[in-house]
Amino acid sequence: MFDQRGQIRIIEAFLAIAVIFSVLLISVTFPSSPNLERQKSLANLGTQALIKLDTNGTLGNLIMQENWTTIKQALDILLPTGVSFNLTVYDENMQPINSQTIQNSNLLGREAVSVQYICATQNLNVQFFVLRLQLAWTR
Amino acid sequence: MASLLLSAQLYILDVGKITGEMESNSLNDFVLALKLGSRHVIVGSLANISNGGQSSNLASNLQRWSSLVSKQYQFGKSVLNYTLNEVAPYSSGIWIYWGTNGTGISSAYANFTYKLSDRAVNIDQSYFVNITTTVFITSSYQTISGDTKQVNVTINVLNDAEPALAKQITIYYKLSDSWLIPNATNNYTIADYGNGTYIASFVANIPSQSVEVSAHVIDQREIYVQANATSIQV
Repeated sequence: MFDQRGQIRIIEAFLAIAVIFSVLLISVTFPSSPNLERQKSLANLGTQALIKLDTNGTLGNLIMQENWTTIKQALDILLPTGVSFNLTVYDENMQPINSQTIQNSNLLGREAVSVQYICATQNLNVQFFVLRLQLAWTR
Repeated sequence: MASLLLSAQLYILDVGKITGEMESNSLNDFVLALKLGSRHVIVGSLANISNGGQSSNLASNLQRWSSLVSKQYQFGKSVLNYTLNEVAPYSSGIWIYWGTNGTGISSAYANFTYKLSDRAVNIDQSYFVNITTTVFITSSYQTISGDTKQVNVTINVLNDAEPALAKQITIYYKLSDSWLIPNATNNYTIADYGNGTYIASFVANIPSQSVEVSAHVIDQREIYVQANATSIQV
């Protein structure tokens, strides 16, 4: 009788060890959360790029001219290599206005962050735009 | 079991710390973008008003801006308030002075307060935006023969008290109650010194000994300003 109880205790101990090791193994193999530090730096890079482009009103002027190609080229220069982006420009009523996609590569399947930026033009008829910039590391 | 719980708790704390930093950084950027946008709104409104638009445009543009900003932050309460400067010489945030003493000023001034509160962050920031385009002109003339005079006009353009380039300068001179623009027939030339200083020269038949000139300037921000001066005989 006593011998059988002892065997159960041993089995229970082995099971507990197996559970602990499997949990450790799973947590090492599949990190459960996204890499927040990398996402943080990516979001900062995106906002800084838009702020730089907007400093002297260039961003607003380019949107007014619907010069999407130049905006894409500017972001290509301002963002580091290895960053994919996709920019959508909305008017004051949140209707998308960019007639062509402003992106350097497809973000599908990548861990992306989204940055929202409000832009005011500084021309005679002040207009407002909301920009949504999605970014992802390509590697 | 205890160590599993402890490690899970540590992980949650660590992730929470990173998320907090992330939020703080993006909020700083958000406020920076907000200030930049406020500046653009004031520049655009002043450009509109100085070019003949209604002075109420400043308030209506800022109202739209404030409303849009308040809608954009979704994780808490975001409120942007503005007050237009009413301290003389400003009225409803605008000061337009196009004098006859050689000085012209187009200026707009507004104070802002931005309040944002969410679970982790409380921001209460005050800032002001003052956009001013100033033009100073001085003029001198020499009588060449009879009523024919060689007139020189020196124009200095400033943006927010710093020398700035002009987008367009038009010089006028007064001839019996009419303002005329000197052209090629007047040997009109304008020299750009690249530092906000311009010297315009022309020859004109002006019978009066009092030569009045005017400079109408549009700066690179589309803000219009003009100044009049009486030319001094040398």
